[in-house]
Amino acid sequence: MRHRDPLSDEQRQELDALDRALAGEPVDPALRELEELVREVRATAPQMTPGFAARLEEEVRSGFPTSQERPPLRDRRALAGRRWMLLPAAGSLAAVIAALVIVLGAGSSETITTFSGKPTTFPVERGAQTEEASPSSGGTADSADGSADRADSAPAQRARRSAPSSAAPSVSPPPSAASSNPAGPSTTAIAPARARKVERAAVLALRTPENRFERTTDAVIATVSRFGGIVASSQIGASDVAGGEASFDLRIPTERLDRALAALSRLGHITERNQSLQDITASFTSAQERLTDARAERRGLLRALGRATTQNQVASIKAQLRTVSSRISGLKGELSSLRRRADLSRVDLTVRGSAASGGGGGETWTPGDAAGDALRVIEVLAGVTLVALAVLAPLGLITAAVVLVVRSGRRRRRESALDPA
Amino acid sequence: MATPPNTARESFDALYRECARDIYAYVRTLLADDASAEDVTALAFERAFRRRSTFDCRRGSQRGWLFGIARNAALDELRRRRRSAPMLGELPDESARAPEEEADLAVRRTTVRVALAALAPRDRELVALKFHGGLSNAEIAAVLGTTESNAGTRVHRAVTKLREACDAPS
Repeated sequence: MRHRDPLSDEQRQELDALDRALAGEPVDPALRELEELVREVRATAPQMTPGFAARLEEEVRSGFPTSQERPPLRDRRALAGRRWMLLPAAGSLAAVIAALVIVLGAGSSETITTFSGKPTTFPVERGAQTEEASPSSGGTADSADGSADRADSAPAQRARRSAPSSAAPSVSPPPSAASSNPAGPSTTAIAPARARKVERAAVLALRTPENRFERTTDAVIATVSRFGGIVASSQIGASDVAGGEASFDLRIPTERLDRALAALSRLGHITERNQSLQDITASFTSAQERLTDARAERRGLLRALGRATTQNQVASIKAQLRTVSSRISGLKGELSSLRRRADLSRVDLTVRGSAASGGGGGETWTPGDAAGDALRVIEVLAGVTLVALAVLAPLGLITAAVVLVVRSGRRRRRESALDPA
Repeated sequence: MATPPNTARESFDALYRECARDIYAYVRTLLADDASAEDVTALAFERAFRRRSTFDCRRGSQRGWLFGIARNAALDELRRRRRSAPMLGELPDESARAPEEEADLAVRRTTVRVALAALAPRDRELVALKFHGGLSNAEIAAVLGTTESNAGTRVHRAVTKLREACDAPS
């Protein structure tokens, strides 16, 4: 390396002697030669002419009123000022980047346009907060009717949200629900996204003051009814747990799931809320194709039956027809089940009465809530800071590297003047 | 840490009185031309004057800082001229200026001048910084943008070459 030239003892000694000689101090007699060298070299030092010395003296005394440089030299204070001016710009840039990251992150839950066959997680908005849904939170297949009853397409809901006229639910709402219209228009043009079958599920846990527990559970049932849903099962234990606990297995028309969840969420303090969705288009399409094939086969058998001439032939074809008809029935049931899963969303709702929060007579904002909110704010701030750092740190390193390279290059170019031509 | 304006002005005046001749000698040794040396010396002091309030004593001595400015100005001038500075033919004839010098002394000084002119420009610059500027190795390191150890090594190498050149038969 160029900068690693350790000095030997002898070199140090000579350099020390040189410094002493330059300072006019006595030098080791063995190195007197250096003393003479200093004297001789200094004697050959170029001298300013008296005229130039006087002119320079005058310039210095008057503070260089006539600049020799065009343009004038930049003052470092001006540069420092510019750096201060750059700080807000840099801060604004960081804020914009952070805001973009947040907006894009939040916006992703509104712009899902692709589907997969496995459960997908997406954030659910709750006021200013955002929660991540757990893929494992979706309900399982309901064995009571031999199929799952979860349903419908979240992307279609989103498409409807962005384009209200494109809603196309496959579940007909009850007349009461349609008339009260809490869910808005029921059917309109079919959006392309509706070609897919997606089942949705949600898990919601609420906490309510103990003295409002029963009212809340009643309100849950009323709300489900208002949105055209059904309570598949429920367990309400007012005195089992301190404050009471109730669990509901709900089926909500998928097109109204978001609004129903919003309404249910307002019934108490949310302690958990997540959603999941699963694309079942492939299963649906496969069942449809098998049904079409089976129907075609049955038509062929019927034609063959018409052409049968012997008793044995007739018996054989009838047996085949029974088999095919049975298969068609099964496939119809399978399709119906898949439609139900897509059209009805499953919601697992738990309501817990909170003895600690009783007596308030309303949804009070407790110190615990405040601590939770504060923690959440800190988490968000830390996240934003982390994202900003992740963006700015590499930029800073790149800038520093560029500055170093530029400075090094400028120094090299300057010093090239000292190289022999 | 920047120096307050009034103090900076006083400090600059003191610096000028202390360094003006050394700066000129250093620049003149680099450029080997009186007119250019005068221009660059004045330019260096002007730059130093305008930047005087930004001098930071934590980053080195004022003397080293001033020599750094002068060096940059001189190198820019050299680059602008796009030619190296041949020392031999343009050295001032000291013997002519000091006819009273003894012949022996004049011979020795001429030998030194010739040896100095024979050095490579980088070595000549180091000799000028050390002998004319009187800078310590740490100050030279700051001016050259290198370590003190490296500066010491380079100074020692340049001085050795100068001594060898002085001892070499003419």
